[in-house]
Order: sequence, then structure tokens, then C-alpha cells
Amino acid sequence: MVLSFFKKGESPLDRISHETVLMLGDARHSFDLASTALLAGADASAVSSDIRATDDRINAAEQRLRSELVVHIAVNGGDDIGVVMGYTLLLKKIERIGDQAKNILDLAEDGISLSGAPDIEEFLTRRQTISQMYVDAADILVSLDVDSARQFLDRSMEMNRECEQKIHDYMRSDEPGHWAVPRAVLHRYWKRIVANLAGIVTSAIEPIQSLDYTDNGATDIVDD
Amino acid sequence: MFEPHARDRLAFSEVHPINPLGIPRWFRGILVLAIIYLFLVGVSSLESGIKVMGADTQERLFSSVSNPIVGLFIGVVGTVLVQSSSASTSLIVGLVASGALGLDQAVPMIMGANIGTTVTNTLVSLGHVRQSQEFRRALSAATVHDFFNLMAVTILLPFELLTGRISWLASRTAEILTGSGGSEWKSPIKAWVKHPVGWLKDGLKQASLEDTSLGISMVVIGIIVVVVSLIAVTKNMKALIAERLEASMNRVLGRGGGLVAMVIGMLITISVQSSSITTSILIPMAAAGVISLRNIYPVTLGANVGTTITALLAALAASGSDALTIALVHTWFNVLGIVVLYGIPFLRPLPIRCAELLAELAVRRRSLAVGWVVSVFVIIPLLVIAIFR
Repeated sequence: MVLSFFKKGESPLDRISHETVLMLGDARHSFDLASTALLAGADASAVSSDIRATDDRINAAEQRLRSELVVHIAVNGGDDIGVVMGYTLLLKKIERIGDQAKNILDLAEDGISLSGAPDIEEFLTRRQTISQMYVDAADILVSLDVDSARQFLDRSMEMNRECEQKIHDYMRSDEPGHWAVPRAVLHRYWKRIVANLAGIVTSAIEPIQSLDYTDNGATDIVDD
Repeated sequence: MFEPHARDRLAFSEVHPINPLGIPRWFRGILVLAIIYLFLVGVSSLESGIKVMGADTQERLFSSVSNPIVGLFIGVVGTVLVQSSSASTSLIVGLVASGALGLDQAVPMIMGANIGTTVTNTLVSLGHVRQSQEFRRALSAATVHDFFNLMAVTILLPFELLTGRISWLASRTAEILTGSGGSEWKSPIKAWVKHPVGWLKDGLKQASLEDTSLGISMVVIGIIVVVVSLIAVTKNMKALIAERLEASMNRVLGRGGGLVAMVIGMLITISVQSSSITTSILIPMAAAGVISLRNIYPVTLGANVGTTITALLAALAASGSDALTIALVHTWFNVLGIVVLYGIPFLRPLPIRCAELLAELAVRRRSLAVGWVVSVFVIIPLLVIAIFR
């Protein structure tokens, strides 16, 4: 361990970037498992321990990386303060996404199952799209490609509009509550997940002072 | 809803490079070697200047430090003034090499330098004074170094004055290292630096300086070169090893304290040639609560040992084995301090408890922290020097 002082390794900020991508991978794992429990009829109790362990891992990584960001500033001074604050926000968004996978699991643990429902294909397609968005967000964090980020933000806006519309429709549906409410709640969780994924991508391409805000000063991400 | 910004800025890609001037690493490495050479020339110039002054001037200048208490506090004040024990101990090595300062006079000064060097991180901790909890953590992290060094001196200075065992240990180590029995040892580095010092002396002579004025000029130039080159070495080495330094600090966070943290503290300090850099980096980390006082403590002790490398380096440019011996006194003093205060279980938590207590009191009355710095590092040393000299 002491000898590693003499070895050249990955730069600390690169390492933090690498870890955030791994955290996003963990968050996707939780999302996929929770969605499988809700949409494919998998036993919720069987995936629960895996999701909660993954969430604990995400939380521990967030805490560790926050400490490392403090160390980075302590060692290098204020030069990287914008990046460090950006990472702090980004880590919090990943942690929230992890929690939102648990929210989906909570639905399944409450006995809700959409497996075999007539509209299941629509759910499975949207779930697949969101799952892929985790991968795309991670790729953008690595590449920092502005064009890909813009495309991602457009897609996420579209997805959020769809989710909002679905929530609106379910709220006004003539179907019974036990049919409409889980669907509306699931879309609400999906909307929040997509908003946080968009927030992660925005963290990588926007200056710190304008994160989560539009040019006219309004908040640009509705994730509450 | 998302309204992507018109601005096309990449926040993460705007990361400022750790090497803002774009100096290549290999060039910075060569620069560090050149500055170390300059540092050695400075030490040698100081030694030569003192010798040129003559015995009478030396006697007048250094007679007061025959009192070990005065010597101790001169070490404190001198180090506070230059904000670097590396600089002050290197100057002491130069003085010992010139013969102006005896080993017995220099030992308390070296111990005083150890106390004086702790002022830097204590001053850094005062920057957190507005936030109570941050301030409590920062001040305790800083003053654990103060208390450890004060306690080490309280125990080891009387021990040295009564038995002379620390200087004996250093002297035996110097004999083993040089393979000789005493003052006939000639450092090979000394030969490399004697020409620039000779040129400086000739240049000053041509400016019609002689004897005392020539000696004083060489001493002043030597002191300036030593201090400036140490600042430059520290800055460049920090830039060179910033990533390793950061990774090492993360390792301390991940694995906690103990001997590994101590060795990491020592390695970082040897690399940057400054314990103040190592200990001052810990203060914002402590203030933010990412590292505990118990984990900071061993890093600080490692920094104490690591900082002695500079005086050892200075001894390589100096004449005779006494210079090496006093540099080794610095090393042994810090090693023995660890053995006594960290090695004996019931003494180990003492500096931590004192630091916590002071921080607790200072949070209630902020002026206490300023009072601590001013009294321990300025008023008490100056009063003692004025009374006992």
C-alpha cells in the first residue's frame, strides 16, 4: 500500500469519473431488477436484497467520492472547483436514481404486477428505452460529447412529455383506481428517473451556475 | 421541461490542468534538481560567510544561545518568521558547519524549529473561524501537531540536557553513515558547491567588501537563497506529485490511521520538502469532516520525520560531521518523540485530547484561538528570549 505512492496511476479526477460511470451501471442494474419484478412478474422478495445491496453500494460510493472531491480541492486548491461542484451534484442525482429504483420495487412489494396486462408491451418498450438511457448517459459522461448530450436531452424531453401525458390520461381515466394509480405512479417514477438522467448529462455540459436552470432563470428539470 | 442552454460550454472538459503553466514533467524534474543545487549553494554560502566574519563577531552574535531555553525559543521565533522548519533547520546546519554554533547550542534550536513549524497549519485553521463545527474540527486538527511537538520538547529537551543521549545517538549515526570518526569527513557534495560560493565571494570582494561586511553579505545572500529555493522546490514538487499526493490522502481516508498513515505523511513531506504543506492540506479535509483527528494525528507525525530530510540534505553541502550530526539530531528527536508519545499507549491520546479541548474552548470564545497562536508562537518566545538572554 505504501509502495503504491511511487507508482503512477489513474489521475484522481479520471478515477472519480470512472467511479461515477460504475455507479450509473449499478443504478441501471437496480432499475432493471425492480422493473422486472413489476413488469415481468418476478418475485419481488427475490430481487429486493440485490436492489437494496446495490443501493447501499451506490450510497457508499457517493460518500467516498464526496470525500475524495474534498481531498482534490485540499490538494490542488480552487482550480477545479467548478468540476468538483458539478460532480457533487451529479453524484447526488445518481444516488436519487438509485432510490427511485427502490420506489419501483416498493410498488412490486405492495403486490402490484403489470405482468400479463393488456398494455404491457407499451410498458416494456418504455422500460427498455429508459434502461438504454442509463447506458447513453454513462457514455456521454465518458466522451463529454456535446452533440450526443444535446440529442440525449432532446430524447429525455420527449420521454418526459410522454410520461406527463400518460400521467394526465391515467388521472382522468374511467378505469378503477387499482388499475390507474399504479400506472400513474410508475410513470411518475420514470419521469423523475429520466429527469435525473438528463440532469447527469447536463452536469457534464453546462457550467455549474446554470445547472438545472434555463437561460431565463427558470428551473429546467422537473424532478420533484 | 428541458431547455438546453444556448451556451456551448463543456463544464467537465474545462478542468484546469494541475500543471497550469504547461511545464513538462521532465523539465520540472530537472528544475527541482537545479533548485536543490541552488539550495545547497545557499547553505554553503551561509557557512562561508559566518567563517569570514571572524571569531569575535561570531561570539557576539551567538553568545546568547548558550542558554538552551533561549536557543529553544530562538528556534521557535526563527521558524515562525520563515514559516518553514526546513529553512530554519538548514540554516542551523550551516551555522553548526561554520563552527559559530556548537552542537549543544544547536540542539534546543532544532527542537524549537519543530514547534515553530506548526504555526502554519494553525493559521490555516483560523480561516474556518466563521463556521463553529468546521472551526472546531480544523483547529483541533492543526493544534494536535502543536501539542505533540510541545510535549515532545517538554520530555526530550530535559532528557537531552541531562543525558546528552539524543546528540550521542545522532553522532553515532553520523559516524556509521560517513564511515569516519569525526570532523575529517568531507562531503562529496561540498566539492560540487564550492565553486559558485567562491565566485560569489570573489564578486563581493571586487565590490570592495571585506571581513565582516563580506561575511554578512554572504550570510544574507545564503539565507535568501535557502529560503527562496526551498519555496521553489516545494512548489514544483507539489505540482510534480499532486496526483500521487491526492491518491495517498485518499488511501489514508480509506484505510484510516496507524503506521501506514504515518509513512504516507513522511513520504509526502519528503517529496514536497515541507511538513507545512502536508499538515496544511489536512486542515480543509478535517474542516469538511472527511478525515478524523485520529487519522490526521499519525500523518502529522510522519510529516515531522519527513521534514528532517531537508536538514540532512543541507548537511551534505556543509563541512565536518557536526553538520550531519545536528541534522540527525532533528531526525532522532522526531523519531524518539513518536516512540515516546505515540508508542506508549497512555500517552498516545494526550495530544488529541488537548487539541480537542482547546478547539472546544475556542469555539465558545474565538479570541482564544488567536490568543493561542500569538502567545505560543510570538509573545512567550520573545519574552523568554528578552528575559534570559
